[in-house]
Amino acid sequence: MTATTTEADPARAFPGYLEFLAEADEHGAVEVAVGLLESGVPAERVLLDLVAPAQAEVGERWARDEWSVAQEHAATHISERVVAAVAAYADPRPTRGRIVVACMDGEWHALPARLVAEVLRLRGWQVTFLGASVPAAHLVSYLHRYDAHAVALACALPMRLPHAHRMIEACRRSDVPVVVGGRGFGDDGRWARVLGVAWAPDAPTAADLLADERALRAMPPARLDHLADDEYASLTKRRGELIDSALADLRERVPGVRDYTPAQLDSTVSDLGYIVDFLAAALYVDDETLFGEFVEWLVAILVSRRVPASAVGLTLDHYGQRLRDFPRAGRFLDRARALVSGLSDAPRR
Amino acid sequence: MTSADVRGADPGDGRVSTPGTGRARPWPDAAPALPPLAPDRGLPTPDWSEVVEHFREGLIVCDADGVVRHLSPVAERLVPEVVAGEVLAAAGVPALLATDPGEFTHHGRRLRLRQVPLSAARRCWYVEDVTESVSRADALLAERARSAFLAVVGEKLGNPLHPDRAAAAVVRLAVPTVADVAVLVLAPRSGRARWWRAVRADDEAPALDSGMLAAAALPSAIEEGLGGTEPHALDWVVEQAVEAGWLPGVDAAGATARVVPLPGRETPAGVLLVARRDGRWYDEADLDLVRAFAARAGAALTTAVLYRDQAEVADTLQASLLPVEPAAAAGVQWGTAYRPAQAGLRIGGDFYGSHRLVDGGSVFFLGDVSGKGVEAAVFTGQLRQCLHALHRVESQPGRLLKLLNDALLETTQAHGQGRFATMVLGVVRPHRDGSLTLTMAGGGHLPPLVLRASSEVEVVPLSGMLIGVVPDPRIGEVTVHLAPGETCLLYSDGVTEARGGLRGDEQFGAERLLHAVTGCHRMPAPALAERIEQVTCDWLGHGDHDDIAVLALRATGPGRPGRHLHAVHGPTGADRPRETTP
Repeated sequence: MTATTTEADPARAFPGYLEFLAEADEHGAVEVAVGLLESGVPAERVLLDLVAPAQAEVGERWARDEWSVAQEHAATHISERVVAAVAAYADPRPTRGRIVVACMDGEWHALPARLVAEVLRLRGWQVTFLGASVPAAHLVSYLHRYDAHAVALACALPMRLPHAHRMIEACRRSDVPVVVGGRGFGDDGRWARVLGVAWAPDAPTAADLLADERALRAMPPARLDHLADDEYASLTKRRGELIDSALADLRERVPGVRDYTPAQLDSTVSDLGYIVDFLAAALYVDDETLFGEFVEWLVAILVSRRVPASAVGLTLDHYGQRLRDFPRAGRFLDRARALVSGLSDAPRR
Repeated sequence: MTSADVRGADPGDGRVSTPGTGRARPWPDAAPALPPLAPDRGLPTPDWSEVVEHFREGLIVCDADGVVRHLSPVAERLVPEVVAGEVLAAAGVPALLATDPGEFTHHGRRLRLRQVPLSAARRCWYVEDVTESVSRADALLAERARSAFLAVVGEKLGNPLHPDRAAAAVVRLAVPTVADVAVLVLAPRSGRARWWRAVRADDEAPALDSGMLAAAALPSAIEEGLGGTEPHALDWVVEQAVEAGWLPGVDAAGATARVVPLPGRETPAGVLLVARRDGRWYDEADLDLVRAFAARAGAALTTAVLYRDQAEVADTLQASLLPVEPAAAAGVQWGTAYRPAQAGLRIGGDFYGSHRLVDGGSVFFLGDVSGKGVEAAVFTGQLRQCLHALHRVESQPGRLLKLLNDALLETTQAHGQGRFATMVLGVVRPHRDGSLTLTMAGGGHLPPLVLRASSEVEVVPLSGMLIGVVPDPRIGEVTVHLAPGETCLLYSDGVTEARGGLRGDEQFGAERLLHAVTGCHRMPAPALAERIEQVTCDWLGHGDHDDIAVLALRATGPGRPGRHLHAVHGPTGADRPRETTP
């Protein structure tokens, strides 16, 4: 709590800052950030070299089951307050047009988008941050109401790509160019390319891209011809039925499932749903790696929570049998199945 | 709309198709091959010259030395340079000497030529005048391009856009199809006219700029256009525009320009100046296209302005109906979440708020009125205003709620609305040790939850009857003590009655809510409120939902005084307009 963290280097301040996040100590965390600013570290560096990596660490700790969801939420809230404090300290004067920054509907990881918003603000844009989980209707009515140079949309989960695409189209119908970011578009932005939308890997790149209006408007069209096979649409229609039968299948084959508490059952149902949703998103952009990466991640999360990888394998098998007349989905499921077998054969730590 | 407009317009039934969709292809790809020509066995010896005379194609027959031996009258008319008895090359028509002649233009006509070898090294040229069919095909292609262009324009301008963006879209769409430079000048408002300009660039996207101009400085051609007439002194238009500096990179000598009014509701919404650098004249067909474009642009601009005006009113009203964030109070950390059922509307029938009391405490409330949407929101507005006034005369929660009940009963009976509300209304008072005492009165609302420091979650036993239904309702009262770090949570039924889950029809329910907040006792109040909003929305998937509202109060403890931190700035007013010349 004392002023030991005034060295003007975000990297050195990092461990102390993380401590404050862990304790949900808003004032301590804000003091570290403001201390850096006062000793001359530019606001953009505080945001990108202190707040952003700390938040990434928060996510990691949740994934490793070291932190509960509640701790993660509390830490994220503190990060938000720090961002607000940094923004208030820098208080840049807007000299350029308006940029609307929003998270996809259903997307609650608002902090990365918030950081982008603040970096843009520091670079002179007049930024409106609409926050987490912005319904498409809200965004569109906002765009009709206020003239915007561009919209920056964040999507952290590839599962929401089909939805993201509809939102991008809605913005374009209002004649507003869109730039997207976030892990949801792939670590190299490859799914943004499939959807025919400009993508930025980080806040500075997004700022550069937004400054170049011609580049924003000159995007190649979406490559979605594969949707003609209707697998995506049919899969989303059968979502409920698939989850139902997968749950029945688990009950039959994994004895422990029958004794699940209602809360365990809820989270099993939502995991089964995620598998369908990620498969649907993979079909949407026609990329098996989307589904493969998700399955690897899911197995890691479940294993850290003492659920065996083989349970995921069972469900993949089950979906594979159910989706016999879906050649693309079948191929994706087979590859993912092979990945899971590889993971469960690997020796335990 | 002009008749030209109708001609160019897509009737909307799909009959005007864009090129390439070819439903009725004139030349089927798989036409059966014809048998090879048999030699003409012409039985009655014809008088060949008489027959040939009536061919649509002219004939030129040369002998092995290239001397013209026969020249049909049609050929003579089309290629008068060719003379029978002389060498063909002497005619000086290059196309006749080419090995693969094809089509060429000669004396202003389009001629198609083919060469056929005859016996004894003789050769024959067939010359056909295809001027008309080519121009018919050109006209058809041009017409198709025009309807395709207008279809794109209709699509791009079809949304009720922001007026500025609609204006930018108009000039952007005009280039390059109808102009190299397009300038849109809106009808002046209070002596100033705003303009947008697009200039054709080498690559696809035209360069755009915009600005504002004193109405007095507008060239007379523009003024005339704003008056609703198309200026007729055409060479003047270019000169005026070039002189005014409106057409960068355009030389007055070679350029052509036209000014077309954009039809508005009564007077024109503005005028469009289109200019071409290369001196290509705007012919009737071009002008029809520009006018049809202007009609669509005018409609789009008018709609956008109308939308803006109405949205301004709606926004003002909405803002007055949105819940106001609780006022900062000593010892209390507030957390709120609000998600109305109709996302586009942003207001609904849930409400929350707080008022500070002179003794250092605060009145706080959260509730839900019957119904959804605008009407419900208006009722919440009345209710909040009642409370705002009443808390000054009564700060005991039970009695305040009864007063509110009487006031609402009077209003609803007077208006015959039959609306009612459920709510929790409380007074919070801080103590020196950082703890809080909450006295709450219940009007038929869901019971609050308390997150204890021990991680236990308590359901506060609070009952009572609906507010605004009967005089003198039964109202429950309860007092809760919050130690530092403990939180009290109020929420609307949009949380517990959210329908989602496996089949989308299962209610979220109190059990799941309890489970979701268990273990959250160390969370700051805003994070807790957001978490409840998040788990509820996750449960809903993308399904419809009722209004959702959450209000959390946390005893912050005796620690440091709360530093006031600014949240992200909301949208501010439009940029100050600058006076500029195009």
